[in-house]
Amino acid sequence: MTATGKYLRIAFAIVVIAALIIVPMNFNRYGLYILSQWAVMTIAAMGLNLTLGYAGQVSLAQGAFVGIGAYAAAIMTTQGGMPLIAALGVAIVLCFAIGWILGYPALRVQHHYLAFVTLAFSTLAFLVFRNEDWLTKGIYGISNIPRPNVLGFATNRPLPFYYFCLGSLGIVSLAMWWLIRSPWGRAFVALRENPVRALSLGIDTRRYTLMAFAMGSALGGVAGTLYAPLTQYIDPVPFNLSLSLDLLMMVIVGGSGFFFGPFLGAAIAVLLPEWLRFTQGYYLMIYAVAVIMLLIYSPTGILGILDRYLTERRTKAASALRAVAKSRLETAP
Amino acid sequence: MTAVLEVSNIKKSFGGIKAVDGVSFDVQEGEILGLIGPNGCGKSTLFNCILGQLAPTDGEVKVDGRVVTALRPSELNRLGVSRTFQLLQVFPKLSVRENLILAGQEHQGNMMSRLLGPSDAGLSAAADQMIGFFKLDHLATEAAGGLSYGQQKLLDAAMAFMGGPRLVLLDEPAGGVNLTMLGDLKERLAAINREKRATFVVIEHNMEFVMSLCTRVMVMAEGRVLAMGTPSEVRADPAVIEAYLGH
Repeated sequence: MTATGKYLRIAFAIVVIAALIIVPMNFNRYGLYILSQWAVMTIAAMGLNLTLGYAGQVSLAQGAFVGIGAYAAAIMTTQGGMPLIAALGVAIVLCFAIGWILGYPALRVQHHYLAFVTLAFSTLAFLVFRNEDWLTKGIYGISNIPRPNVLGFATNRPLPFYYFCLGSLGIVSLAMWWLIRSPWGRAFVALRENPVRALSLGIDTRRYTLMAFAMGSALGGVAGTLYAPLTQYIDPVPFNLSLSLDLLMMVIVGGSGFFFGPFLGAAIAVLLPEWLRFTQGYYLMIYAVAVIMLLIYSPTGILGILDRYLTERRTKAASALRAVAKSRLETAP
Repeated sequence: MTAVLEVSNIKKSFGGIKAVDGVSFDVQEGEILGLIGPNGCGKSTLFNCILGQLAPTDGEVKVDGRVVTALRPSELNRLGVSRTFQLLQVFPKLSVRENLILAGQEHQGNMMSRLLGPSDAGLSAAADQMIGFFKLDHLATEAAGGLSYGQQKLLDAAMAFMGGPRLVLLDEPAGGVNLTMLGDLKERLAAINREKRATFVVIEHNMEFVMSLCTRVMVMAEGRVLAMGTPSEVRADPAVIEAYLGH
């Protein structure tokens, strides 16, 4: 990476962050709702990107963890009258623990077999949300979920709540960035690329697999605790299997195993339906065709295209350098 | 001299096939033991049994006098036993330097310090030294998957040494490596053996490589030990000539 490239990147990041803060200031209520939803779904997708993209463990249960987080927040803040931060703590611990347990099958089975196991869990969680009326109020759902006070600021209005979501996304992103760059991140990638070799290098693949599941699931829980006060009403429907599939698609379309993949994937999954609204009933068809085309052209997602382009350019530059060095050697006296 | 590795009566069957049928041997500290024999004679299976990748049907493995037969490969590696594989086993998407850091990181600190500590687990300098030692300098930041076969073999070998192992089992390190690089590899292995007192067991078909590098050679045939001795003794053994080397 050249110095100019680095500065360009930093400048680009600053522009994007500034835009995310300034531009929505004159958005209407609905626009802010959509953007907040993007921030929340990005957090959930980042969790799945850790489990699937980095550590290579397929999970069709991320939506269930969002549900667990959302119900923890809804139940604790309405019936318990507790602050959202307490619910956040409970959601993280709960999802981490359940994610850890759900990781055990991954020690035995992989790929689509693992997908089926997690799918079963997803269905189970949905049934609990729907049938355990005493806890979740079943199909009637939980309404009047309050929005939190953050550092003394009320977030009842859409703009402050959006900033709350954006801030949370910022914190999660920094933590994720640290994790991915740490030796743990490297071990996760090793797990994905070659578990047998990883094991022979002293990497405790068992512990890292469980950790990948637990941490990814915990992030699903974090997203859930933001989702509940965002919609202020939850019922079981949004947390059925299709949310897990949506999140999976966000990760894959954005670019599985790329840090910014979930940001892009969530943007497409949340914003594209809004942009394609003018097509009315054809929206899903256009969306489906676009996704299929993308995955045929680039199985590694949108960031995969960019990555391919950059790698190609770097390789060309490197071989040009080598050619120059070689010709110098040959012409040297 | 003390035995770093003691293997006693290892057996491994797959169904009715006895892949390894009662193999026993010791490897002394600082030794380079060559392991040769025809394809399918059980060399790699023996390696996998020693390293905990396969559970032996019977028998016992000791490293530095400690029974390790039931340990997992990752635990064994942290006790100082390292290996390379017959087929290429680098991490293609990681750079050469990252591959080496990965290979050593689990030997540094604990889970917590690896999460909260520096990104390179304090291994950048060691990795660069290893890169220099194996003459991969110009490739340090390249993705390992983009290297030539021979270069990846060198990286694969280098990775086995990042944890500072006492005992390294190399499975066909010379396979598919061109002559120049082969010379390099042999010289590097001999240097590590000399300087770090690292003990090696090497499976190899390249006789020139085995006979010039190894201090002792063990010949296997049909899951059993056929002969054991210095390279010249083994080369002169009629049974070995019959079963493997040819007239």
